[in-house]
Amino acid sequence: MKKNIKLIAMLVLALFAATMASGCAGTKKEDASAKYPTKQVNMVIAFTAGGSSDVQARIVEKYWKKHFNDQPLVFDYKTGAGGQVGFTEIVKAKPDGYTVGGINVPHIAIQSLSNQATFKVDEFAYIAQVVADPNLLVVKADSPIKDLKGFIEEAKKKNGKLTVGIVGTFTAHHLALLQMEEILGIKVTPVPFTGAADQNVAVMGGHIDAMIGNLNDVMRDLAKFKLISLASEQRHQWVKDVPTFKEQGYNFISDIRRGFAAPKGIDPAVLNKLREGFNKIANDPAYLEDMKKIGQPEAYLNGDEFEKVTNSYLQTSKTLVDKYGLVKK
Amino acid sequence: MPSFDLLMQGFATAISPENLFFAFLGALMGTLIGVLPGIGPTSGIAMLLPLTTILPPTPAIIMLAGLYYGAMYGGSTTAILVNIPGEVASVPTAMDGYKLARKGQAGPALATAAISSFVAGTLSLVGLTFFAPTLAGFSLKFGPPEYFALMILALSVVVNLTGKSLVKGLIAGLLGFLIAVIGLDPMSGYARFSFGNVNMMSGIDFISVIIGLFAVSEVLSNVETHVVDVYKAKLTGLMPTLKDLRQITPTMLRSTVIGFFMGLLPGCSPGVTAFVAYDTEKRLSKHPEKFGTGILEGVAAPEGANNATTSGGFVPLMAFGIPSGPALAVLLGGFMMYGLQPGPTLFEKNADFVWAVIASMYIGNVMLLILNLPLVGLWAKLVRVPYPIMAPMVLVFSIIGAYSVRGKLFDIGVALFFGLIGWVMRKVELPASPLILCLILATILETSLKQSLSMSTGGLGIFFTRPISLTLITVALVLVAFSLYTRFKHPEKASEALAEESE
Repeated sequence: MKKNIKLIAMLVLALFAATMASGCAGTKKEDASAKYPTKQVNMVIAFTAGGSSDVQARIVEKYWKKHFNDQPLVFDYKTGAGGQVGFTEIVKAKPDGYTVGGINVPHIAIQSLSNQATFKVDEFAYIAQVVADPNLLVVKADSPIKDLKGFIEEAKKKNGKLTVGIVGTFTAHHLALLQMEEILGIKVTPVPFTGAADQNVAVMGGHIDAMIGNLNDVMRDLAKFKLISLASEQRHQWVKDVPTFKEQGYNFISDIRRGFAAPKGIDPAVLNKLREGFNKIANDPAYLEDMKKIGQPEAYLNGDEFEKVTNSYLQTSKTLVDKYGLVKK
Repeated sequence: MPSFDLLMQGFATAISPENLFFAFLGALMGTLIGVLPGIGPTSGIAMLLPLTTILPPTPAIIMLAGLYYGAMYGGSTTAILVNIPGEVASVPTAMDGYKLARKGQAGPALATAAISSFVAGTLSLVGLTFFAPTLAGFSLKFGPPEYFALMILALSVVVNLTGKSLVKGLIAGLLGFLIAVIGLDPMSGYARFSFGNVNMMSGIDFISVIIGLFAVSEVLSNVETHVVDVYKAKLTGLMPTLKDLRQITPTMLRSTVIGFFMGLLPGCSPGVTAFVAYDTEKRLSKHPEKFGTGILEGVAAPEGANNATTSGGFVPLMAFGIPSGPALAVLLGGFMMYGLQPGPTLFEKNADFVWAVIASMYIGNVMLLILNLPLVGLWAKLVRVPYPIMAPMVLVFSIIGAYSVRGKLFDIGVALFFGLIGWVMRKVELPASPLILCLILATILETSLKQSLSMSTGGLGIFFTRPISLTLITVALVLVAFSLYTRFKHPEKASEALAEESE
């Protein structure tokens, strides 16, 4: 046992030293792609730690080393502005393959339409989609609102003063909220948060009346919430008793896709390595098991398919943005 | 008392040689990381996170948690010895700690920091052990308006940090807000003062600002004077006397309460609570004018509070999976990688694990005390190192520290730039602490204000109709009024105390 401890201790110290050293080591240009990665890879996360995007990426991290030369994946949180801070960080990063990041659709599509846009959707090199997470209308577990009918009544009674949390303005949640208002024929007051974690607290604490959340955000604290309706085509297997908007006569379909991308201009050989690695990770049974355990609605698409999905969301978002006159002020 | 039995079982797990070893390793590395400016618990935990793939969950989390609270012990060392806070949470410690070191009392100051950290760390663990489920509800009581009010209360501290001139202090505070505004608007994504530069868009990291204002500017100022007095006299007593201890006991207890309860609130970093605790002690003290001149209470308060905050932060983390700061967020990542889902079920499903980690924190705090007290003698000797040797070392560590936070060269530039700013600020006697405090408060202040106004559709009434926020704002206003009153009533007292501060 004693020897064992010593061994572990040395290993720990060596790893510690190695991690620090590798962070400073330079890279040689030649045969960089063949050996990629030769050092730690930075993973930019655009939402608060502990939020859905972060948790999912953490699961990827668990399997990362196996497929990427045993190099660590280092997380870099660049939060705020509904993800724009982090997404910008990804496209502006050096395209050497050592900075990748989590991207969310339609977030990037919507943000690229803003007149404050700091990137375009074609500035990303798409690696893979890993999650398709339906939006939900959620209230606190002991809220007087019992169902969708109750929600609509309450919203009408409060005459636009009912507060509904969303993550950021000019985001997927924001557009989903506008869509929902139109389809349900109501008016509410949106309250933007910087991430899902803060938004959850505000609902749990009763500070806002409801929120537009994702399935994954609420799976962690299911006992604290009441799920009113799901914005997907069909009911979800994890929450079978939650009705969809559609089956109640409201054609409101809205989801969020999560995936990974690198900055455009990355060496195609390196991009391919990333795509292959993610493909292997996404098909690992242990990974799938973990995804289920943490409540992430897994839906793998390869880089090309993911790019297509993003472009179709870009079109939808453009229509919505124009309709609500969100860009011109 | 089922918690007690569970805790005892936790101890049984925690004292296995393997777990003890990793608690020690975490505490030791935490101390070292705390000593180095810039490399804080966040980057420390992030660096060690890959280890979680080879270690079983219990020892790994024990080690990472040890690193987190260990860093709070180490942060005070450089603050006291060379006026460089190792962490944001040690900025207030530097105010009195450095003065004490200059007076030849580095030993008692360092020992006080360690003892206060230990007392507060351990007492707040008791809070965590027995009241975690009850207290978890407390963090839910705070919505955006309450956070806004809390930030206003924390801001009221600024008036007491202003030093000789109220106006200059407020100017420094405003500078802090201005720096915080750089980058993308946290709610609307609008780029502010970024001049199209991506690095500016990501905002100015406050660690680089602290390193610049404290460490770099200290070196610049000292280089100007030909001879920097190296402390030559015999170091008087390494340990605080019994009388000293009796004197700081109430301070430690109050700071524990402040640190622990504020630690329950996500977003209240140890840096904020350390400032608030320092200010509270100054207000309650019979000799407030001595604060800032080098007294032990001024070290005990922030050091106690920041340690209590670390334990408090584990309550929302374990109960809801809500990290109260960046370091705990990384630790949350560690939980996730083991498939340990923090939340109400963690205490039921993974009771063995949770209680072993909590038990290890008691042990870790004892280890840290034992580790840090003997080091006092060694550290204290550092004040005798001639400045021509010390200065380059300080600069090197500053640069490493600034770089390590985000791994950006830009941040080194920021640190050097703020070194120059800090040097100018010393010349014109603008105090640095209000700037730092406003810088760390600004983001939550802004976000919570905008959220509150969304909730109320623009009305300010929301801050005065909710009991918690009304109370907090009232307390803040009373405190500011009181500070201003004493300031103008006894201006001579204030200037007397602060004459020394500017040396």
